[in-house]
Amino acid sequence: MDVLSPFELEMARLLVETLHLEDISPEEIAPEEPLFGEGLGLDSIDALELALAISKTYGFQLRSDDKENRRVFASLRALSAHVAQCRTR
Amino acid sequence: MSRQWARLPERGHPLALRLICWIALHVGRSAGRVLLYPITLYFLATATAARRSSRRYLRRALGREPGWRELFRHIHCFAATILDRVYFLTGRLEQFEIEIFGGQRILDQAASGRGCILLGSHLGSFDALRALGVSLRHLPIKILMNTTHNRAMTQLLDALNPTLAQTIIPIGAPDTLLKVQESLEQGDMIGALGDRVARGEKTVRCRFLGQETALPIGPLLLAALMNCPVILCFGLYRGGNRYAIHFEPLAERIVLDRRQRREQLGVWVQRYADRLAHYARLAPYNWFNFYDYWEEDGS
Repeated sequence: MDVLSPFELEMARLLVETLHLEDISPEEIAPEEPLFGEGLGLDSIDALELALAISKTYGFQLRSDDKENRRVFASLRALSAHVAQCRTR
Repeated sequence: MSRQWARLPERGHPLALRLICWIALHVGRSAGRVLLYPITLYFLATATAARRSSRRYLRRALGREPGWRELFRHIHCFAATILDRVYFLTGRLEQFEIEIFGGQRILDQAASGRGCILLGSHLGSFDALRALGVSLRHLPIKILMNTTHNRAMTQLLDALNPTLAQTIIPIGAPDTLLKVQESLEQGDMIGALGDRVARGEKTVRCRFLGQETALPIGPLLLAALMNCPVILCFGLYRGGNRYAIHFEPLAERIVLDRRQRREQLGVWVQRYADRLAHYARLAPYNWFNFYDYWEEDGS
C-alpha cells in the first residue's frame, strides 16, 4: 500500500476532522484515489468546507478561477502538493 | 424525495418545449395560450407518470381526490409558465401584471452590499423573479443550476438571453462552491432551488404536505458556512397575465453546532418545507415536480 508522507498525513487529518468522516481514518486514505465523486465520495460543499479549513490553517484561499483545480482536487497527494506550495503559514 | 427526476428521459419536453418557444416567439402570447389547450390535452393523455405524480401531489395540496379538470389545470399551468418564460427571458415584461410581496427585504439586502442566498423551488416560475431582479432592477443575482440534466431546455432558453445565461453557475464541479463563495463575498445574491435532490447530494428527512420525504441540506449548509442570510422566494403564476412574487426571510444567519449539525440543519430544512407547503396550498397548480416526489413507487 502507498504510504502517506508526513504532510499528506497532516492533510488527511485535516480532511477527516473537517468533514467528520466517520468510516475512514486519516491513515487509510489512499493518496492517489479520487477525493470527489468516486473514491472518497466528497461533493462540492465538502470542497468548500475543506477550502475554508485550508484557508484558516495555511493562510491562503483556493480560487475557483484556478485552471489547475481539476488536478488539485483530484487526490490527497495532488491537494497536499498544492497546499504545500501555496501555504503562507 | 426520490432522485428519479434526474433519470427521467424528459418525456415530451424537448419537442413540446421547442414548440411552445416557437409559438411564443412567432405567434404571440394570446394565440399561443389558445394552443396550450391541445398541447395540455395531449400531454395529459400520454404522460402517464406525470399524470400519476400530479394526482398524488394534488391529493395532498388540495386535501381531496383531484378530478380530471384539476389534473388538466395543473398541466396547463405548467405549460403556461413555460410559454411565459420566453417573454420573461427576452425581457418583455410589460404585458404582465406582477405583484411583489416583501420586495423591500430584497432591496435592503442589495443596498447592504452583503451577499445572501435566495432560496426558491420548482413551485412556480423562478424565471419571473430572475428576469425582474436582473433585467429590471439590476440586482446582482446569480443562479446555481443543474445544467446537465435539462440540456435541451437550458440551451434553448440560454439562447434567448445570453446575458442572463451568464448569471448561471453550473453545479457539478468540485470548485463550484468556491465560485459561489467568491460571488457571495462580492455581495451577489445566490439563487438556489431547494426542493430537488441532485445525484449524490446530502439530504435530511422532513415532512412536506403531510408526508415524509428527503430534501437537500446543501443550500442551507452553504448559508451556514458562508454566514449569510437566507431569503425565501416564490414566483407564483396566478392565471391570465398575473404573477405574484413573494419574498420572506428564513434566517438572518444559520449557526450550527458541529456535533449536532445534521439535526440542526434538519430543523431549518423543515422550516423551508413548511413555507413551501404554505405556498403550494396557496397556489396548488404551480407545483412543477412531475415525478415520484414522496418515493411511493419503491426502488
